[in-house]
Amino acid sequence: MSTLTARSLGAVRIRSANLRPWLGIVILLAGWELAGRLLTDAFVLAAPSDVLRYLVNEWQLMARALWVTLGNAAVGFVIGNVAALALAALALAWPRSERVVTGLALLVFCLPLVATGPILRVFFGPGNGPQIVLAALAVYYTTLLPLLVGLRAAPDSWFDLVRSYGRGRFAALFHVRAMAALPYLFTGLQIAAPAAFLGAMVGEFTGAERGMGVLTVRAIRALDVEMTWTLATVATAVAILAYVAIGALARRVLLEEPPVILATPISAGAQRTAWRDVSLVGALALLAWTGVIWMLELNPFFAKGPVQVFEALFLAEDASETRTILTTALTETAQFLVPGYVAGLAAGFGLAILLVLVPSLSSIAMPLAIALRSVPIVTTAPLVVLLLGRGAAGTIVLVAVMVFFPTLVACLHGLRQTPGQVLDVFDSYAAGPVKRLIHVRIPAMLPAFFAAARMAVPASVLAVTVAEWLATGAGIGSLMALSASLSDYDVLWSAVVLVSVLSALGYALVGTIERRILAVYAPEQLT
Amino acid sequence: MPPDFAPPPEIVCTGVGKTFDGGTEAVQDVDLTLAAGQTTALVGPSGCGKSTLLRMIAGLEAPSAGRISIGGAPPAETLRRAGLSVAFQDPSLLPWRSVRGNIELALSLARRPVDTDAINQLVTLVGLDGFADTRPAELSGGMRQRAAIARALATKPGLLLLDEPFGAVDELTRQQLAQDLPRIWEAQGTTTVLVTHSVSEAVLLSDRIIVLSPRPAKIVTDITIPLTRPRTTEMGRSEEATDLIEQVFAALAQGMAAAQRPLAAQ
Repeated sequence: MSTLTARSLGAVRIRSANLRPWLGIVILLAGWELAGRLLTDAFVLAAPSDVLRYLVNEWQLMARALWVTLGNAAVGFVIGNVAALALAALALAWPRSERVVTGLALLVFCLPLVATGPILRVFFGPGNGPQIVLAALAVYYTTLLPLLVGLRAAPDSWFDLVRSYGRGRFAALFHVRAMAALPYLFTGLQIAAPAAFLGAMVGEFTGAERGMGVLTVRAIRALDVEMTWTLATVATAVAILAYVAIGALARRVLLEEPPVILATPISAGAQRTAWRDVSLVGALALLAWTGVIWMLELNPFFAKGPVQVFEALFLAEDASETRTILTTALTETAQFLVPGYVAGLAAGFGLAILLVLVPSLSSIAMPLAIALRSVPIVTTAPLVVLLLGRGAAGTIVLVAVMVFFPTLVACLHGLRQTPGQVLDVFDSYAAGPVKRLIHVRIPAMLPAFFAAARMAVPASVLAVTVAEWLATGAGIGSLMALSASLSDYDVLWSAVVLVSVLSALGYALVGTIERRILAVYAPEQLT
Repeated sequence: MPPDFAPPPEIVCTGVGKTFDGGTEAVQDVDLTLAAGQTTALVGPSGCGKSTLLRMIAGLEAPSAGRISIGGAPPAETLRRAGLSVAFQDPSLLPWRSVRGNIELALSLARRPVDTDAINQLVTLVGLDGFADTRPAELSGGMRQRAAIARALATKPGLLLLDEPFGAVDELTRQQLAQDLPRIWEAQGTTTVLVTHSVSEAVLLSDRIIVLSPRPAKIVTDITIPLTRPRTTEMGRSEEATDLIEQVFAALAQGMAAAQRPLAAQ
């Protein structure tokens, strides 16, 4: 009898726990609907009911566009992930190449999509080429990093076991590494799926014939509020579905949930060879850049090599003018980027702490945060601009939101990593929640926080350049779009180089701070 | 196809030493001959380098001085033939495989046929009846170690190397295993090397005990255990066994004192 009661109580508890996550989503939808009703005359916000009505009326248009974009995203997703697997295999087969491989991969990942889009458009002409390439570019790095971590995630004793039966690296790869890397691969794929959709959409912004991105540009130009909101909602829904679907697949294949953190820090070993590797990455990048232009016999008017970019920046008659234009644009961009980045990090960190102090909130907020983390925020850029105008506020908020969700999810995950036994020690001294937070939980969270902060650098650059391009007309994003449409390829290529190098440097800077802090708080992470 | 019972090899260590890359000297000048089919326990204070010596015998670590031969060949040769099994300190079970799956993996790595009945018998022997299809995460620490022992025995190795195999096993099960396992390796005629902290366990399980000094490990004493086989838990409490235990403790203390003298002189 008593067991029966206990069991039925358990069932009730499980059912209410299942409902909790939906509560957050219902509250969000209700708030949105209410705001939409209140702001009807402002022409900035379409309520869910408006979106639904638009979707029903225009479903054929939407379905056609969605189908095209999904197709491109899927092809790019496959290509990008195959590239990530190949790069990981190279780094594994030849460990000394790992830092060079990841360095080059980072540099390519930091290429501003806003500029590579138009360049690829000129190169490919009409068709799906740029969309697919951009989708692949948006994907490969987010898969490569966790994969590299995963391939090294197995403890040494497992490899000893394989060796003790007289077997070598292939048996270890097959029986141990590949299996141990699977959860990490799924984590990467889960982030990659929405990113591929985002890449395809940005590719469509650059003058495709069909697709969600084309409709988005049309909707912004026509100031069609309902269409803009519907497109953003559909893009968001697709992203969340892709994220959830891969998560569900992972749960079927794996024994446990895939790890939430994107990547743990790169090895701190052999700092003395770091400069050599950086120069090697630089040299290889220049070589590849020149090589591609030369091999494909690209038109020199359009395709600028390293020498031409150097000339344009330092030797040409108008070199100082070019430099001034670029510096001005970069300064403008920094004014949006830096506050947005810092605000996003602070908000993610702060909310994570709040959720730990008030645990009942977290079961509502966590699923929402995880779902929204997967949203390609850039596709919602038009909405932010509609809501907050074309000024600084809109762009800063967009960057902050782009940074906020991954930071929040990583911090919450990190907070859960707190070793229970250490908390027991604090309990035994009757330490309050604030003491526990400061001395145990925050230090335990730092690795996850910094992993998020590092990955947020290229993401925030993407957000700010897209917002400038689509909306504000200021900064380096707008300059790149403008110079692409004016065929001022000297400025365009120079801007691409500057933005990529600065993003990669920003990433490396955060990585350096990260290593300093982890050396104190989590030395075991630096292997 | 390899023979069902690989013949037990003789192990000869000549002037074996190990200094790691960082300059830590773990093992110093060990001369040792272990007869084929014997069980030898390596006993010493923690961190003394006894696991390193075991890993060198397994061929997982190369000695930086001296030579090791297993049945007249270098350890790498035995490794290549999959002629040995190691039960590691950390059970090292792959978490995505059940107990049975882990044992099957060892057999397939060693290129031996998978015999379901034999696996079931081993699982029963280590007291994991009913847990063959359970994954390691759902087992206790002691159960995992027993699964690792079953895995090590599954390939019927000529050379069995056990590194603290009973560390997390509870006392009663430990006694049971200490009675049952020697019967297996006697029946298979295995040469067994056992690293352990527990002096009484060393006395009960082995034919010979090598007492090692604190790092770098050197041989302090070599004690023969003349207790008859098969042995029982009661024999472990006999006067003869108690005397032997006293001898081992005395040797350990002697090794510690010798290691501390130069420190005190500084």
